[in-house]
Order: sequence, then C-alpha cells, then structure tokens
Amino acid sequence: MSLLEVKNLKKIYRTRMGGHEVEALKNVNFSVEAGEYVAIMGESGSGKTTLLNILAALDKPTSGVVLLEGRDFSQIKESEAAQFRRNNLGFVFQDFNLLDTFTIEDNIYLPLVLAGREYGEMNSKLIPVAEKLSIKEILKKYPYEVSGGQKQRAAAARAIITEPRIILADEPTGALDSKSSDELLSLFKKLNSSGQTILMVTHSARAASHASRVLFIRDGEVFHQLYRGESSDEALYQKISDTLTMIAQGGIGR
Amino acid sequence: MKKGFYSRMALNGLRRNRKLYLPYLMTGILMVAVFYLMTFLSTSPAVSEMSGGGSTQMILSLGKFVIAVFSAIFLLYTSSFLIRRRKKEFGLYNVLGMDRKNIGRILVRESLFTFLITVIGGLLIGIALSKLAELCLLNLMHESPDYSFSLSFKSIGWTILLFGGIYFVIYLNSLRQIRFSTAVELVKSENSGEKPPKANRIIGITGILLLAGAYYLAVRIQEPMEALLFFFVAVIMVIIATYLIFISGSVLVCRLLQKNKRYYYKANHFVSVSSMAYRMKRNGAGLASICILLTMVLVMISSSSCLYAGKDAALTARYPCDINVSCAKYGYSVQDKGYTEMLNASVESVVKDGEIDKDSVINYYEYCISGYLEDSHLSVCLNSLSNLSFIEYNKVAEVHFINLEDYNRIHGTDEKLNPGEAMICAVKTDDVGDTFSVEDKTLKVVKRLNQPDVSFVGASASVVSVTASVFAVVNNAAEYAKALGGFKDYDGTPMILMRWYYQFDSPASQERQIEIAAEIEDYYHSHNNFDDIDSSANFNAECHNVQRKDFYGTFGGLFFIGILLSIAFLVATALIVYYKQISEGFEDRKRFEIMRNVGMTKEEIKKSINSQMLTVFLLPVGMAVLHLAFAFPVINKLLMLFGVFSSPVLAATTAASILICLIFYVIVYRITSNTYYSIVTSGENE
Repeated sequence: MSLLEVKNLKKIYRTRMGGHEVEALKNVNFSVEAGEYVAIMGESGSGKTTLLNILAALDKPTSGVVLLEGRDFSQIKESEAAQFRRNNLGFVFQDFNLLDTFTIEDNIYLPLVLAGREYGEMNSKLIPVAEKLSIKEILKKYPYEVSGGQKQRAAAARAIITEPRIILADEPTGALDSKSSDELLSLFKKLNSSGQTILMVTHSARAASHASRVLFIRDGEVFHQLYRGESSDEALYQKISDTLTMIAQGGIGR
Repeated sequence: MKKGFYSRMALNGLRRNRKLYLPYLMTGILMVAVFYLMTFLSTSPAVSEMSGGGSTQMILSLGKFVIAVFSAIFLLYTSSFLIRRRKKEFGLYNVLGMDRKNIGRILVRESLFTFLITVIGGLLIGIALSKLAELCLLNLMHESPDYSFSLSFKSIGWTILLFGGIYFVIYLNSLRQIRFSTAVELVKSENSGEKPPKANRIIGITGILLLAGAYYLAVRIQEPMEALLFFFVAVIMVIIATYLIFISGSVLVCRLLQKNKRYYYKANHFVSVSSMAYRMKRNGAGLASICILLTMVLVMISSSSCLYAGKDAALTARYPCDINVSCAKYGYSVQDKGYTEMLNASVESVVKDGEIDKDSVINYYEYCISGYLEDSHLSVCLNSLSNLSFIEYNKVAEVHFINLEDYNRIHGTDEKLNPGEAMICAVKTDDVGDTFSVEDKTLKVVKRLNQPDVSFVGASASVVSVTASVFAVVNNAAEYAKALGGFKDYDGTPMILMRWYYQFDSPASQERQIEIAAEIEDYYHSHNNFDDIDSSANFNAECHNVQRKDFYGTFGGLFFIGILLSIAFLVATALIVYYKQISEGFEDRKRFEIMRNVGMTKEEIKKSINSQMLTVFLLPVGMAVLHLAFAFPVINKLLMLFGVFSSPVLAATTAASILICLIFYVIVYRITSNTYYSIVTSGENE
C-alpha cells in the first residue's frame, strides 16, 4: 500500500453569487510511496496550491479521495483536521510562516506545545534537530533578526520535529537566494535519504531536480511524470528543462 | 488636470476608508455638538437670568475649556492614526506619478471635507439639542422652563473658530507625516518588521512605585483641606504611573511568565503569553488612555451625582431654617449684652405674629475662639499656633462658650451648673478630659452632651466644618470672653469672636420670606447705634429659598457638566477601542493563518484570541476601578468641602457609575470584536 494515494481529485470554486465556476483541479491521480521525494511542477494557476491545500487538509475537494495509509482524510471535520495536520504532516512554506512573536526556538516548539508535550521532552528533541539543520546559534533570536535561509531552516526544523509522515513543502526556495536555496535543497535530500517522505510543490526546475520523481500538472491534471532512475541531479535537471520546453510548445499530452 | 479632480480623489479617499473615517467623523461631530452646547449654555441669557445661574455658567465655561483641550488632543491623536494606516495608499499615488504637491492638494480637500462635515453636522445636532439641554439644566436646577428657542451666533462663531483651528493643525500634521517619507517607505510602512518588546525594568518599577505612592497619599489623607491640596498631585502621579505600567509593567509580567518554562510551554498559555507581550507593547499607551478616561468618567459621574443627590442635605446643614439671621463680630465688649438685645429687636419688630413658627426659633449668642487642642488644653497663643505643621491641622479646634440660660431655654431643660463647671459637647475630637482648659481658664466637665441632641447652630455646622469643635455650656460666657479678650491675631484683631443667631421657620410664602430677610437687614442698618461695634460686625439675614437656588445652580451645573463630559469621554473611549481592534485585526490576520497551518483549529485560535482580548479589555477597566477605590476616601473628603457628607450615597453612586461604565464598555467590546473577527477571518478567502 502506498503512503499517500490521491484518487480522482476534483475541486471547483464557485463565486459567491453562484454562476461563475472555476475548475481548479479536474482529475488528479497519483500516489507517493514511503521514503519518496516527489516534486510537483506547474505554472502559476495550474492548480498546484489548491492540490497542496487539499493534501494539507486545509481545504476540501469537491470530489475524490486522499488516502494516507489507506485512511481517507479529505472529508474529516475541521477540529480533527487540525489534529491530523499536527500529527502527520510537516509544512515548509515559501514565506516561512514563522510567528514574529516567538523566538526561533519557540517557533520550532509550537507544534509540540500544541500537542501537549512536556518541556523536557521538547528540548531533548530540539537539540539533535537544531544540530542537523545548523541553527543552534540562532535559537534564541527572533525571526526578524535572522536571514531568509536561516528562517527557512527554522521552518524546516519546525516541520520535522514532530516526525511527520510527510513533509509538504510549498515553493520552499521561492524567497531564497541561490546559495540558501542550494543549502535547503541539499538539506531536504539529506532528510530524504534518512527515510523522510517529502512532497514539494515548485516551479523551479533546479529545486525539482533534487527529487526522486517529478509530476507535471497543468490545467488541473497530472499530465506527465519523470522518474529519476539512475540519473544524476544534472541529468534530471536537463530532462525537466526539456519537458518544460515541450510543455511551453504545447507538445506533450495534447 | 481636470477641474474637480482633487476633490473627487479626496471624497473617494474618505469613502473608501469609511470603516476608519465614519467613527472619526462621528466623534468629531459629537465633540462639536458638546462644545457648542456648553458655549451656548454658558452665554445663554435664559441661564444667566435665573438665580444661581452665574455659578452654573462659570462651571460651564470651565467645562467648555476642558472639552476644547480634550477635542484638540483627541482628534489630533486619532487623525495621526488614520494617516498612518493610509500611508500605503498615498505611497501608491506617489508611485503612480503624483508628487507630494498633488498629494498635499488631496489632503487639503480631505481636511476641508472632514472639517465641513464635522462642524456642520455637529452644529446642527448641537442647535437641535440646545433647547433640550437647556431644559435639562433648568430642570436640574429646579427652575421653571421657558419654551422659546434661540440661536447663538456668537457660540456658532466660536465653535467654527476652534474646530477650524484644530482641523488646520491636523492637516499640517498629516502633511508632515506624508512629506517626510519616500514612496517606498510609504508603500512598505505597514510591514516593517517589529522588534520584540523589551521589558524596561526601570520604567515598570518606577510606574509601580509611583502608583503605590499615589495610593498611599490618597489613603493617608485625613483632612478635606489636605485632600484638595494633594488630590492634584495624586492625580498626576496616577496618570503617569498608569502609562508607565501599561507600557512597560505588563510586558515585564509577560516576560516573567515566559521564564517559567513549566507555565509557558502549555498549549493554552504558549500563544497567549507571547502575543500578549506584543499586544501590550503596541497598545500600552492606548490602554492607559482608556484606563484614564474611564477613571475620569467614573470619578465625574460618581462625585457629581453624589453632590447632586446631597444638595438638599448640604443646604439644610448650612441653612437649617427658612430664615437664618446671624451676626458675628470680633472682640469682647461690655456692650455685647445690649447689642444682642438690639439684634433680637431687629428680627422681632419686622416679623409679624403669623409669620413665625415659634417652636422652631433658635436664638442665642456665643463666644468662640480657635486654638490648638492638645491633652484637653486649648492654647490660643499665636506663638504655639505658628509652629504648627500642616499635618497637625487636625488638632486645630474651635471652642464655643454658650450661656446655660440659653441652653435651658432652647432645649427646654433645667440644668444647673456651679461656677467653673461646664457641660461639654465635642465634635470631631475626643481630646477633652474631665477638666478642660482654655489658656489659664479651667473648666470642670460635669456632663457630656451628644451632637445630635443639641440644637446649637454651630453644632450642625461643625459637622460640615473641617476642623474640630468643642461646645462648652457655662454659667457666664462673657466672663470667659473677657478673660480671653486680650489675645490678638497678627493684624491686631481680637481672637475671640462673638456670634449671635436668630433663626426660625416661617409659614409665609417664599416671596414674603425673601422680603422678611431684606426687611430685617434694613432694620438692622437703620436702628443700629452701636458705632464702635458696627464697623467690625457682619450682619446677615439669609433666606433658605434664596440659597437653595444658588445651591441647585452650582450642584445642578456640576452634575450637568459631569454628564456631558462623561458622554464625550465615553465616546472617545469607544473610538480608541474600535481603532485598536481594527489595527490588531490587520496585524493578526497573518498570524491567524500561520497558526492554522501549523495545526491549531479555528476554535482553539478563537479561544486564544478571545482570552487575550478579554484580558486586554478588562485590564483598563480593572485598573480604573482600582484607581477609583483608592480615590474614594479622597473624593469623600473633597465632597465634605461642598457640605456633602454622605459616604453611603457616594458608595451607591460609585457602584452605579461602575455599572454604567461596565455595561457601556461591554457593548462597545461586543460590537468592535465582531469587526475584529471579520477582519481576521477575511484573510482566509484571499
């Protein structure tokens, strides 16, 4: 059984007065195995964000199911969804989503505190994570005092400290310079090689080239995918670029 | 550019920001209306013509001044908040190619429109309400209303002038705020990262010490005169302390809570405590302002309504009978006896038989002398008096010598005393032993009288008086007066004072009573042939009904002003609360979203926000009530200066004022927190 299965997912937005309909997701099907590193690529407006919101249980699909370890969570209640997010998912966002009222340390603790853990336990979890992400020095600082790369590493620390089933990353390199981007991507790779499942939404070919599989989504449908196989990052990057060029020329799937 | 372009831009700007501007305009209108009302009433001939109207108008002029200063500060503060919120908009105009001059033109028109809307609206409401306010005031003063309507162009002129000035300063200030920032700054100004609040220990501790000092002062004050002096000191200390504590002390508390890891890292404390520190830092000044405004409203409502409720009691204490004739003169003279007979004649020959209620007559004379009372001994000597420090003010006492025959006549008793013996009634002091001495004259106290049982004029007045009094009933008062006659004041006036009283109730009509009082004065001045006495004597024939109008005028005017100012302050409070909610709503929107992403349910977030907001809201009210509790004894003593002595009434009006403020505050909270939630949750759909 796959870790995550997405079947016939459909999402239609209606304007408030009814009438106008926008089909954000037409019919999305894919699955993610445990330990996989999947990148989802697509232009703006292709339905990436909608898909991620549904996977994060922040939004509900119009039809279709999302199974995590065989359990459908796309229709659970809001209060359960919050708990579900806390226990099973870790998030990394483009704009970091750190609370400016907390120190970096407290930001990382946030999901654990919400889950009702003791301070001692939280602290013992934090130290190895902080070392792994090399943010030990900035723990006592506030988000506004550190660089973008450091903020994103702190956000990653917040995502992995709960030992989630899947990390969902939404354009994690979008607000970073190229050096910080590379650092974050190699960090993700390191996490993945230690068994962490990662699902990343991006439109950067460079970011996607670190994944083990790349899904292309357009007009609310998955219309192509690439497997890394034995190829190197550079080779995968080349393949992705080729695919994108083809999409731009309207080649594939039409 | 096309004609009318800037005006259209300005109007659009106001319309687009109506959520911000509508309350601002409404507050402005209210301030204008209140100011017009006060100006109108303080110059209204209807008010000045009635008796007691003079004192009312003086109080109204004072209130007018308070409202003018308050409006200026408050409108300026609010408008700078509005401009800050709109910097982005102006930045956008700048980016789109308008220079500062163009923006200035828009600002000029905006200010002009604001001014016109506010002043015209306020004047219309003020004029519409002016008659009603006049009737209310007349009613409070127990005057018969007159229903003619009048307009005061002078008041309108003053109102336009004042608010024109205020809005001009506001315009200059907004211009300054826009001018000193670049386009990029203007566009970005809302998102500049905020530093974490630092708890400044020194400021926080200073605040707490100041508050403790002010409270100590308030509790320690014993004497009304002291209260008057220290009240303003205490008020200023409390205002400063409130600001310091809200700005720094609260952050300090949050920081201490954060240090306690076991407390802090709990789901229900974690988010609340850390956001609270930010909220307090941002809102410290606003909260302190709310607290102080509420305290002022509480003090005004409770004290002015207590004064108003106590006006009759104060009047009766001061003027117990319908007609009160009295005469006071310094020094002892052998002619005193004959003089009092002449005084009695001046009353008895004027008042005809049917015009006097014989049972109510209180007619006697006494000698009194003030001094320093210690260990049952009154020293009159100036040298000992001049050494007095202010704190020992409560040892100053006035001793009254009253003849036994007068006592027996008034009270219908048949007491007997030997020479050197006395019956004593001590008010506001217990420092009278078995023997009581005044300088070298010693009295043996054979009987003690209780204040409510004696009907001396001074006895009821002494309760009103701020110092202690000792009434000594003796065989021959003149003997003591003669012995103490040698003590002189610095300017040579004898310290002994003779007081004569003749007071009675009269079944005659009010108009006749007033006539009687005037006739008595006339008679005294035309028949008095004691030349040497006349120059120093102070003769008064006062009519209760005349005095009542003056009392009602003063107390009714104070009550009226108290209510008007309270309304203005409460509305200002509501406006601060509203803007606080709006600005917090915009700031919390992003935070709300993040927390949801990280795994908090909507309910959890709502609960956390609710508890924070409730704390933030209850803090100023709680603090205001605390201030009021400590101010209570001081207010009580200050009211004594007005002759109002009822602590239970003050307690009742205080409780009522707290209730009114609380209800008002809760309603404001309800309405504004809805606005807050709609702002915070609107972020989800974007």
